[in-house]
Amino acid sequence: MEFFLISTLNGVIFGLLLFMVSAGLTLIFGMMGVLNFAHASFYMLGAYVAYAVSSTAGFWVGLLVAPVFVGIVGMLVERFLLRRVHAFGHAHELLLTFGLALIVEEAVKLVFGDFPVNYQMADTLRFAAFTVYGTDYPFYRVFMGIVAIVMFVALWLLLSRTRIGIVVRAAERLPQMAEALGHNIPVVFTSVFGAGAALAGLAGAVAGAFYPTNPNMALELGVIVFVVVVVGGLGSLQGSLLASLLIGLFSSFAVGIDWSAADLLALVGLGDWARSLGGLMIMQISSISATIPFALMLLVLLVRPAGLMGERG
Amino acid sequence: MARALLPLALVGAFLLVAPPFLDLGWQNALINILIASLFALAFNLLAGQAGLLSFGHAAYFGVGAFAALHLMARIEDGLGFPTPLLPLAGAAAGLLIGLVAGFFATMRSGVYFALVTLAIAELFHSLAPHWQGVFGGEAGLSSMRMPWGGLIFGSLIEVYYLTLAWVALSILLLWGLTRTPFGRLALALRDNEQRVRFLGYNAHVTKVIIFAISAMFSGVAGALQAISNETANYVLFASGVSAQVVLYTFVGGATIFFGPAVGAVIFTLFAYLVSDLTRSWLLYQGLIFVLVMLYAPNGLGGLIHQHLRHRGQLDWPRLARPYAQATLGSLLVASAAIFLIETLAVVFSRDYAVARRDAGGGFPTYEVFGLDWTPLSPVPWLLPLALFTAGLWLVLQARHPIGALWQRVRAGSEPGVNPS
Amino acid sequence: MTQVLLELNGIAKSFGSISVLQEVNLDVRSRERHAVIGPNGAGKSTLFNLISGMFAPTSGTIRLQERAIGGLPPHVINRAGLARSFQITSNFRRLSVFENLRLGVLARHGIRYGLFRPVSRMRAVNEETAELLSVVGLERRAHDMAGDLTYSEQRALEIGMTLTTRANVILLDEPTAGMSRDETDQTVELIRKVTTDKTLLMIEHDMSVVFSLCDRVSVLVYGSVLATDTPPAISANAEVQKAYLGEETAT
Repeated sequence: MEFFLISTLNGVIFGLLLFMVSAGLTLIFGMMGVLNFAHASFYMLGAYVAYAVSSTAGFWVGLLVAPVFVGIVGMLVERFLLRRVHAFGHAHELLLTFGLALIVEEAVKLVFGDFPVNYQMADTLRFAAFTVYGTDYPFYRVFMGIVAIVMFVALWLLLSRTRIGIVVRAAERLPQMAEALGHNIPVVFTSVFGAGAALAGLAGAVAGAFYPTNPNMALELGVIVFVVVVVGGLGSLQGSLLASLLIGLFSSFAVGIDWSAADLLALVGLGDWARSLGGLMIMQISSISATIPFALMLLVLLVRPAGLMGERG
Repeated sequence: MARALLPLALVGAFLLVAPPFLDLGWQNALINILIASLFALAFNLLAGQAGLLSFGHAAYFGVGAFAALHLMARIEDGLGFPTPLLPLAGAAAGLLIGLVAGFFATMRSGVYFALVTLAIAELFHSLAPHWQGVFGGEAGLSSMRMPWGGLIFGSLIEVYYLTLAWVALSILLLWGLTRTPFGRLALALRDNEQRVRFLGYNAHVTKVIIFAISAMFSGVAGALQAISNETANYVLFASGVSAQVVLYTFVGGATIFFGPAVGAVIFTLFAYLVSDLTRSWLLYQGLIFVLVMLYAPNGLGGLIHQHLRHRGQLDWPRLARPYAQATLGSLLVASAAIFLIETLAVVFSRDYAVARRDAGGGFPTYEVFGLDWTPLSPVPWLLPLALFTAGLWLVLQARHPIGALWQRVRAGSEPGVNPS
Repeated sequence: MTQVLLELNGIAKSFGSISVLQEVNLDVRSRERHAVIGPNGAGKSTLFNLISGMFAPTSGTIRLQERAIGGLPPHVINRAGLARSFQITSNFRRLSVFENLRLGVLARHGIRYGLFRPVSRMRAVNEETAELLSVVGLERRAHDMAGDLTYSEQRALEIGMTLTTRANVILLDEPTAGMSRDETDQTVELIRKVTTDKTLLMIEHDMSVVFSLCDRVSVLVYGSVLATDTPPAISANAEVQKAYLGEETAT
């Protein structure tokens, strides 16, 4: 029961964190058709900027500056780099973001070194939210969840209730039509890209104080974020949220489950036979917890590429 | 045709004759260059010729490596399989996995295709460290090259010639493929898949075959690496490996046959020469890649090809000055960037932090390019700025005349422009 | 009793809630030249897409020489003997004109996965391609890239590519669209020449082309066939006139 409760809490919060990063990615893809390989790099940049700023001006200032900084970087990238390559086709856009991811990772290593940095949360947040079965549950985890939820609500309200949101959604559906109606689509694209980057940067600033902030952050999270946006449906914000929670919960639970395929087959009396085969049969779910999301991603891509909530075709 | 053969013949002669006279470091570098070139050319069959961008080609490279190691282990145990034929294991494994992976991957196109290939590679990457039997778990597999036919295969130079033979054969086959009906079909597929269907071709089957052949030769490359290193582990499936081959291919140029090989040579040489000089060589690699993507979308090979193709129409005397200007300007900009990056690397390094602590929090001098600088004086910051500005100015100045001269060439090569 | 090569019965096609074709009945006789005309938006291109296999009909049957082809993939239908051209030129821009045509010729010879022989050595294929090249009048452009051709040259290539395969039922989608008077006349002669022993179904807007080439005309209005008859009979048909004029006054 303890395992169940803790895993659920951790899973939901990890899922919400994944959502913060993937929200920007899925919005950008839905609108511009660009799969931004550098998106997780924005996440990492956010963490490092927050670290740098917080060392001199404190945690809260760092938390504020990081998304703004990363957002501006995002806008510059879109305006001066992506837009240039747009004429060469989708493949080149993909490749450019690819190269950018490389540059950001190396630049971060250049300035901050190859090893994790000591990015710490504010002392005011360092307490236990509640106690579960005798263990203290850190408030900061809850804090991360709160930031993510606030972000989702703000985003949803912005997109569905405000004029800006309507323009953004129109630009997503029919960019040329929206442009013909007088809206400055290039500016919309730049802003959306910047906003998406800022969100990822915020996620990094928040998460970096809890999880290790190191140059591998982008790579570690990057692939999982792709799984999330594919499973949720490229372009769908709600789908992203759903898939993030799904994968967050799964990852959380899977690490504690030591069953293997052989164990399952033992239920029908084929345990020994399965064990004698070895290999895949005896692998425990906890060991292959990293593999299953990719298998899920493959399944979705092949069976229903629109994902859970994306639009068909 | 004959003109193109000359540089090839020169390269071939060098590769054949020079290596015994080079030191071990260079022999090893050449082996890596050959393997990287084959991998890139195999990749480009899918990406450049058929227009299907794969972001997970490490899977087939890795599978080839592990297959070769398994066979090597059997040979060590006494199986009488000839060592020089080891790459066949890589080819077979690559082909098989490529057929299965390709069947599913080619059900999708564009970004979705790329994501499927990514997922497949990650599947291998995450599974391999836990699968002791097939992939040797986290430690991986190791095996020794066994003697065969009078050759011991103990020295690097023997491995080099084995690698050369297989790479040359593979490249020959890949090139031959482009002359066959199937090779022409691949190009058509890239241009207009729909039309290919309506001409009576089963596009899906065609794509699967292209995928499988590309995977097969990737497997050969992987096998060659396993033979050379006598070891392999799950790291071969990492996204970095898939990324490298994409980098080589597109910097070299995906639209001409030897482009990817050019990219592979440049980057592997770059890594070999520069990685000892600076810790930031990956950053330079990334910067070069992004610059090529922005300003030479068909790659460096494409750039060369364009010049060769239009060499009769280009006004070379007029081009000489702006090209020289642009080159000089680029060199200045590059040196500014390198200076700045190296400076930052030193200033942010741990050693410097220690030096600062010893100097009581001040900013002691540091060394870059053999000279001493102080961070507090404006010189180390103004110098790159000046170089950068001067270089940029030169390049921008040269842009217009170069653009105008090329415009003339393009207008000249198009017959009667259609009024509609 | 002339044989019916292509038969459409009760064909309907909807995209979601939008119904494009309601109840199309059409038959094309062997060696016939049959035109499909109708106001814009009537569903003519959709009809072609259905017949050639781009998508499946929502209901109804399509028979090509007694074989049901509704819903089959395009390459299967093509191999069964039907080829189509596209209204918006659809060729291989970065390949030469010669190669564009040769691709179809290779398919006709059954060489689809030719992995082992260089294509330059395939004499029969190359000769047939050269012949087709001169039929469509593009010999001088043989080695130019298809993307560099003028508009009417591209349309000629389009027709040429449609002829390369073994098909004896040819579908031409607005072959003379956007052409001048002279170009149209030339194209009509080309079509006449190349479809002498074939069966032709074409979408056309230019009535003079229809009159000069076609044996019968079907009028497609609001997703169903209003009438099918010879060109003179159709142009005298009161309902057809109402459909066209009614369309025009409405817009």
